[in-house]
Amino acid sequence: MPALMRRQDPSAAVSRSNSPSGNRASLDASPAIAARSGMRAAALHIWRAQWFVVIRAFAVFIALWGLAAYLVASPLQLPSPGKVFSAMVGLAEKGELLSHTLISASRLAVALGVATVIAVPLGFAMALSRELNAYIDPIVELLRPISGIAWIPLGLFIFGVGGTLPVFIMAYVAFFPLLLNTVDGVRGIDRKLLAAAETMGVGPRARMLHVVLPASMPSVMVGFRIAFASAWAAIIAAELIGSPSGLGFAIEWYRQLLMSPKVFSFIVLIGAVGYLCDLVLRALQRKLTPWSEGMGIGA
Amino acid sequence: MTVSQLHSKSAPKLRLKGVSKEFIAPRTGQRTLAVTDFNMDVQAGEFICVVGPSGCGKSTVMNMIAGLDTPTTGSIEMDGAKIQGPGAERGVMFQDYALFPWKTVRDNVGFGLRHGTAGRGLTSAESEDRINHFVELVGLKAAEGKFPHQLSGGMRQRVALARLLANGPDVLLMDEPLGALDAQTRLLLQVELLRIWGETGDAGDRKTVVFITHGIDEAVFLADRVVVMSSHPGRVSAVIDIDIPRPRGEHIRSEARFGQLTEEIWSLIRDEAYRAIA
Amino acid sequence: MSTQATNTISTAALPAWVKAITLPLILTLIWQAWAMTLPENSPAPAPLKVVESFIALTASGELIWATIQSLGRVLGGFGIAMVGGLGLGVLMGSSRVVRENLDPIVESFRPIAPMAILPIAILWFGTGTPAALTIVAYAAFFPLLINTIYGVSGVDRQLVRAAATMGISRLRTVFVVIVPAAIPSVLLGSRLAMGVAWTAIIAAELAVGAKSGGGTSGGIGQMMFVFYAYSIDLNGIVVCMIVVGVVALMIDRLFRLAERFLLPWRN
Repeated sequence: MPALMRRQDPSAAVSRSNSPSGNRASLDASPAIAARSGMRAAALHIWRAQWFVVIRAFAVFIALWGLAAYLVASPLQLPSPGKVFSAMVGLAEKGELLSHTLISASRLAVALGVATVIAVPLGFAMALSRELNAYIDPIVELLRPISGIAWIPLGLFIFGVGGTLPVFIMAYVAFFPLLLNTVDGVRGIDRKLLAAAETMGVGPRARMLHVVLPASMPSVMVGFRIAFASAWAAIIAAELIGSPSGLGFAIEWYRQLLMSPKVFSFIVLIGAVGYLCDLVLRALQRKLTPWSEGMGIGA
Repeated sequence: MTVSQLHSKSAPKLRLKGVSKEFIAPRTGQRTLAVTDFNMDVQAGEFICVVGPSGCGKSTVMNMIAGLDTPTTGSIEMDGAKIQGPGAERGVMFQDYALFPWKTVRDNVGFGLRHGTAGRGLTSAESEDRINHFVELVGLKAAEGKFPHQLSGGMRQRVALARLLANGPDVLLMDEPLGALDAQTRLLLQVELLRIWGETGDAGDRKTVVFITHGIDEAVFLADRVVVMSSHPGRVSAVIDIDIPRPRGEHIRSEARFGQLTEEIWSLIRDEAYRAIA
Repeated sequence: MSTQATNTISTAALPAWVKAITLPLILTLIWQAWAMTLPENSPAPAPLKVVESFIALTASGELIWATIQSLGRVLGGFGIAMVGGLGLGVLMGSSRVVRENLDPIVESFRPIAPMAILPIAILWFGTGTPAALTIVAYAAFFPLLINTIYGVSGVDRQLVRAAATMGISRLRTVFVVIVPAAIPSVLLGSRLAMGVAWTAIIAAELAVGAKSGGGTSGGIGQMMFVFYAYSIDLNGIVVCMIVVGVVALMIDRLFRLAERFLLPWRN
């Protein structure tokens, strides 16, 4: 009986069909022309490369910024890129960049930790028990529209000015996306996967551990990324209004001192830290849940 | 001698007696009779195909045999004992394979052995051997470290088959397993399926199979007997003996008997199928 | 997912609304009981006092006026964001070149919270409505932009091709195929944008109120700050918080209604 299954798997076939010599049509024989075309090909390759597009975009942006600063000619309102850069260097040397970043970041870590520890198990419980959901969901939905920001005045009264307020606000803000995404993740599990496990004689506890948990991981990770982004935005507000330290405090502090380049420096830092953390989270998401297609946040 | 003649004296492997299923919608309380008065005996080692128009309740019947659903009336017995719920002795292959996306091919195949009842009493070496055997049997040794999302439809189907077989079930329940594949792959895999089932080997070694399909030609190609259902409500309308001798190669598709049987079955379904699309 | 043996009092039979109010009711009662243990003139908020405060603030018109002010700013900022967000979104959605070049800039600004822009806005416009508008517009801009890009770039190419085979000109195709196909995403982006805009205005008014020493900028956020820093009216703060939540909910429901009305083919 011919072994039909012995053919190579499709992925191997696809890679074999790609021409190893690349996509460019073969060029003329003349070495001089070939050399010039080779250089042009290389230059074109760089021009199209991902990293170059990014650098180019930033270069243009900074150039336009410089131009605008020159035209506006108001160093208070729009400092030039050069001034901002030297302010950044100065702040870095004095260690201020690092200290404020660490303060904000550590608050964020604590807040996310607290939110995860409460929201994820609760989310699982609510998704698995209709009873529990009926009692808890209403109060979640009542509190959700009240943004974390609205809690700041009351929070200031309860916690006073300091580090606890930002942590509380951030934990509150991070809680909801984590909870909702966890519940969605568990509810959205393909029923067939559970049925398949049942038909293999897998008991309820094993099903929980080995089917429900992994299957809901992608949703939980998305929830975590959303929670992070929301918390990172909320910390600025919380620190700006009610904290004597951190990045949010710093931008307000230097504004009051009318030191614009430093204000801008910290704003750039806020963006950079947020962006880097999101990259890390994306990589984590890819590592932990390589099979999930929807990687974008969506909002 | 067909399989049915071989085993006609012994007790059937599966017996469905007077089975009916009524669904009650949770909010409106609306009652739908999906299946009624369903009787079917399946002998050990038989390959049964169930065909019928869309919505005739084929999947409902399969879910009940699998133990994922309970009949409203009637009984389903395996080896003389009433079915209580799902179990590894009645393995199921689902329409969209239900592969665990976070597990590799190998880990999918071994899932039932690791976490289910089929693995009890096996040493880890024995389990590994079993997994190896079935991964090779379906021809996926080269891809065993890959994840489902990296595989083609045909490959996923083979993983599901290997997983099903690795648990050593007595009865194989398959719900349109080839339905998601393109027509060409389907033709090839039909032959493969018969090979893996053990068509060439001893009749006594074969597993019992209940196979649901929309494709009448597929049913005639694969089955010993074809159960034809009609719908609204779902019930058995005829049971056709497929007297084409085994082993069956691709050539039988061009033989006269094949065409006769296909036409006979289609004529039973045609009117209902037409009404479904009108 | 699993059936539970009911060996304790079975609460499953209670109607849904009873279950819904159980926890909020219990918490409110505990809160009220706790508040009553405090001395009469304690500033701590209590449910009954919150209700009193609500009635007083509504009667005096302050609450309604503040809400309208805040909403007005939200709509203003949202309008600005719409012009920029939709325009740029259509451009970036239809041209891959534009999108590739602008994407790094957009993605770099996205992690910068709207509130981080506040100091700059105050430097430019001083404390007052224009600064608040800037924050709101900035906040609303990103959801609008991103969802518009998604909507425009995600139009099924088959639809465009189908139109071409029916002899519809390319310009007309933009209006009769691409725009309608992109509307669901734009609506979703608008709903999200309004949500963040509302949060942003409260934050901006709160912060601006704090910086300008409770100035005359008005709005709910500003009112909250005054209750915090000047009149120490915690009950008033709670009233404002509830209003913030209710308005957020209403905005969301309104947009969802619009979505259902304008897009009946989406289930």
